[in-house]
Amino acid sequence: MRNLKPWLDLIFKRPGRLVIGGLLILATLLSGIALLAVSGWFITETALVGLLLAAGVAATINLYVPGGAIRFFAVSRTVFRYLERVYNHDTVLRLLTDIRVALFRRLSSASRARRGKLSGAQWLSRLTNDVDALDTLYLRLIAPTALAALVTVLVALVASVLFDLRTALLTGGVLVVALLVATVGVYLRTWRLAARQSDRQEELRTAVIEHIEGFPELTAAGRTGKHAAWLIRQAHQVTAAQTRTDSRIGWHLAGSHLLVNLSAVLSLWLGFVLFQAGIVSGPVLVLLPIALLGLAEVYAMLPDAFGKLGATIASSGRLNRDCREDAPHPQAAANELPAQTALIADNITVKHPDCPPLFSRFNLTVRSGERIGILGQSGSGKSSLADALVGLLPLCQGQRTRQNCVYLTQKTVLFEDTLRANLLLGSPEASDTELWSMLEQMELAERFATEPDQLDTWLGNAGSRLSGGEARRVALARVLLNPAPLVILDEPFTGLDAETRARITLRMQSILEGKTVISLAHGSDALPDTDRVLHLTG
Amino acid sequence: MGGGDDSPATNQKAVRGWLSQLARGSRFWIRSTIIAGTVAGVATIIQMILFARIVHLGVIDNVPIAELTPLFISLILALTVRALGQGFQARFAARCSEQVRRDARRQLHKQWQTLGPVELGQSSAGALAREWIDHVDALHGYFARFLPQMGLSLIVPFLILALVFWLDWLAGIFLLLSAPLIPLFMALVGMGAEKLNQQHFETISRLSGQFLDKVRGLTTLQLFGQTEGAAELIRMRSDYYRRITMKTLRIAFLSSAVLEFFASVAIAVIAIYIGFGLLGYITYGPSEDLTLFSGLLILLLAPEFFQPLRTLSQHYHDRAAAMGAGTELLERLNSPANPIDVAPTGSATGETDVIELDSVVKHFRSDQPVLYDVSLTIHKGQVIALTGPSGGGKSTLLHLLAGFLAPDEGSMHLFGNTPGSFQFGWLGQKGFLVQGTWADNLRLTTPDASDIAIETALRNVGLGSLLNNRTQGIYSPVSEDGQGLSGGQARRLSLARIFLADYDLILLDEPTAGLDSDSEVYVLEALHKLAVAGKTLIFSSHHQALLTLADRVLLVSGGEVRDA
Repeated sequence: MRNLKPWLDLIFKRPGRLVIGGLLILATLLSGIALLAVSGWFITETALVGLLLAAGVAATINLYVPGGAIRFFAVSRTVFRYLERVYNHDTVLRLLTDIRVALFRRLSSASRARRGKLSGAQWLSRLTNDVDALDTLYLRLIAPTALAALVTVLVALVASVLFDLRTALLTGGVLVVALLVATVGVYLRTWRLAARQSDRQEELRTAVIEHIEGFPELTAAGRTGKHAAWLIRQAHQVTAAQTRTDSRIGWHLAGSHLLVNLSAVLSLWLGFVLFQAGIVSGPVLVLLPIALLGLAEVYAMLPDAFGKLGATIASSGRLNRDCREDAPHPQAAANELPAQTALIADNITVKHPDCPPLFSRFNLTVRSGERIGILGQSGSGKSSLADALVGLLPLCQGQRTRQNCVYLTQKTVLFEDTLRANLLLGSPEASDTELWSMLEQMELAERFATEPDQLDTWLGNAGSRLSGGEARRVALARVLLNPAPLVILDEPFTGLDAETRARITLRMQSILEGKTVISLAHGSDALPDTDRVLHLTG
Repeated sequence: MGGGDDSPATNQKAVRGWLSQLARGSRFWIRSTIIAGTVAGVATIIQMILFARIVHLGVIDNVPIAELTPLFISLILALTVRALGQGFQARFAARCSEQVRRDARRQLHKQWQTLGPVELGQSSAGALAREWIDHVDALHGYFARFLPQMGLSLIVPFLILALVFWLDWLAGIFLLLSAPLIPLFMALVGMGAEKLNQQHFETISRLSGQFLDKVRGLTTLQLFGQTEGAAELIRMRSDYYRRITMKTLRIAFLSSAVLEFFASVAIAVIAIYIGFGLLGYITYGPSEDLTLFSGLLILLLAPEFFQPLRTLSQHYHDRAAAMGAGTELLERLNSPANPIDVAPTGSATGETDVIELDSVVKHFRSDQPVLYDVSLTIHKGQVIALTGPSGGGKSTLLHLLAGFLAPDEGSMHLFGNTPGSFQFGWLGQKGFLVQGTWADNLRLTTPDASDIAIETALRNVGLGSLLNNRTQGIYSPVSEDGQGLSGGQARRLSLARIFLADYDLILLDEPTAGLDSDSEVYVLEALHKLAVAGKTLIFSSHHQALLTLADRVLLVSGGEVRDA
């Protein structure tokens, strides 16, 4: 349960909305119960009065109040139900926003190393399935449970007023058991199954992917059938656990329903005792059991929600674990840079966790305004070196001091957003003129000037598809727009043909005037102009 | 893929057909679910009859409570039966979905086998896994909830209607009047739910996409110091989508509000009609015969009349989800399989110690053959290298020999067998390993291998040193402490399987491409050992060291194969 705490805190940051939403649900539930209860009361009353009238006794009945109440509740049930659904779905969508933003903030302060531990598919499931489990927590679980408890108390109060305290306590007692069966009972009987479900599902997914990747080999060895049979058994185990959970939820629903109905029967029996003692009237006697029958609907949502609670807690546990904030990395105290120096790497060792070091005792001093090229074959670890110089990869030894820098990563990362938004990342204040001029220099101005949306052209999956070379130039433009004095470029010209590369290299000279540049590439023809070149040997 | 040019309507029809075909396979469980639900429904009717009877006897006839005991006991019995019916309904429904999902997974896997490794390789493993796991799971709600509820929402209301008609035909007419409206409601609710579902999924997936996009690029955002701006952007976008979604939801919820409204109004109208009838204010029709019993019973049954429909409308999104998943699954199931089994390769004749290709033609598009009129004889024990430009047909030739693809024309015999009808070794460019121990990985293809044989095979491909570091030898997990194998090591693991299995024929697709120099040496050595052991090796490569290993180098280029 502790896993849920941060998310519950987030949800309860909107108390106003939660209370109004809850009140709307309450009004819906009470209208439904009242509609039936008053109708039952009305029919019994009219039956009794009708008998008197038939017997010639002068009896009167007020038709307007109950008739009006019945019509009112019929309409209010519909109206409140509609309002409740609209309002609460709005709340859920707001909560979804809150959760996403909170999650994003947490992630952005987590180290890249830990973010990299999960595969893309795992992230997708974290950020969709696990978040989905949380955003409906309020609407599916918290509100219905709280309201079911509240309505139960209200019905018990009505019972104590209309009947007597004993009836209220006895029926209330049965209802509490029903409530427990529908909530805590379900949770206790399903949480283990539900919590393991997601892990099993992930294991199954791994196994299926392995199976598909090994399909040629397995086919050659004539083993696809055997291995598939094993997979189907694995899948069946996952489904069987789900079936067990569903059956248990079903039995608990039936059980709590039975208890609610029994409480109605009990109140009818106790009511008769009071009726025959002349304490309650016939119509009132009918009112309470019918109201209790209506309570079944209030409880009906609970078992399913509590059957999923185990999985929800597991989801929040995973989110807490994978999206936890890191303590800020203990950076070696930033040494003062000597004058006219842009970067000093002193005796650094670069290594990925659990891997042998790529470089040890690496030294580099870069003077301000210098242009350095670093050459190394693919796989020689130059991107890791760049990461270490920038600070993305924590050093395990040595010291690195540098000026403010901007870094073009080897992988081109563009966002599914407008061209403008992608460029402004580099320099949030840049004017349109500056953006166009930079696009001009990167030979992209013509490409986007012909697009109907110009700077607002949508990049990424949903928008205009850029070629690899175009995307690279957009990423390069974004870096060149940035005012940082130190520029680190990892394979800046990937995907560019030689002629374009030569023209852009020429222009970069003036764009980078006065800045310090460190460029990394696999071959000297992929480097912009340099003053000196280092060769990395693996 | 297939069916791409079908109109959405025929597509929907095909999906419905496929779903009902799946349902036929689980008829027993669906029927049991409906029967259990009907039992619960009948028990509910009996419960209401007893309830009304008790009230009538006690309030109108002033029967002492002691005499009502048998009725009370029957009432409790009816309640128990109802609960049992409900419980079994849930249980059977879960079993039904379980079986349907197993059937669907079998079907899918069968299709994978029919498609063969090459065709299957066109789709990403992740996408295929998603189909096999998530799309099939999306069928759950349809079979466990929607389909049985369809039956129940016909049966139970009909029973109630019949009873109400018998009690008071005018009240029956009130309910019946709403009956023609019910299909209308359903259409309304259906349309609403479908739209809601679509809108919901679209929004969620678009939002997830953008969110995921930002998370993927988080490093870049950090580099530019723009994470806070991005968080604000996520908030704004989310909020924008919320407003758009709410616009649709407000309309979509209206349709279910209509159903709710009619249910409420029908109860109110019936209650008032019965009240006035009991008072004797209504002088026509059957209302003179109304008693508290019949009046109360009709009132209690009215909500039960609408309940199955309300439940059905709640489950409507299950149908939409199943249709969505079904469309994609059916597309996979109907994707045109290259008929590997019925390839015109002729009967398995020919000599048992040669591989013979006779005028083999293969094209992927009708106009341009990848291989044209290839005739070839390879003797047992030969080492054959296939070389030539990329796209020249080397891989296609290997795939044909492996039986992963069928030739369009011509015939092929491999040691007297048709391609793919016997076991052979295959080494693709990606090594293949499963989570588990070294032994698990090698026994995948050779289940009865001895421990010593497994260890020898691993040492043969230079994985011995890795094994020495592990405490449990071949029974230690392949990836320990989250440290996987490098690409080269994984390929050597696959090669170890080939060593272990002792195949006569071994096909290798670029066995040294992209390997680190360490692995390259081991692979070369291992292939040499296999060649010395008299295996028939056929591989594609540009690698000089490998070419010198070959007895015969074939140049595959422009659809032709000739000795280089």
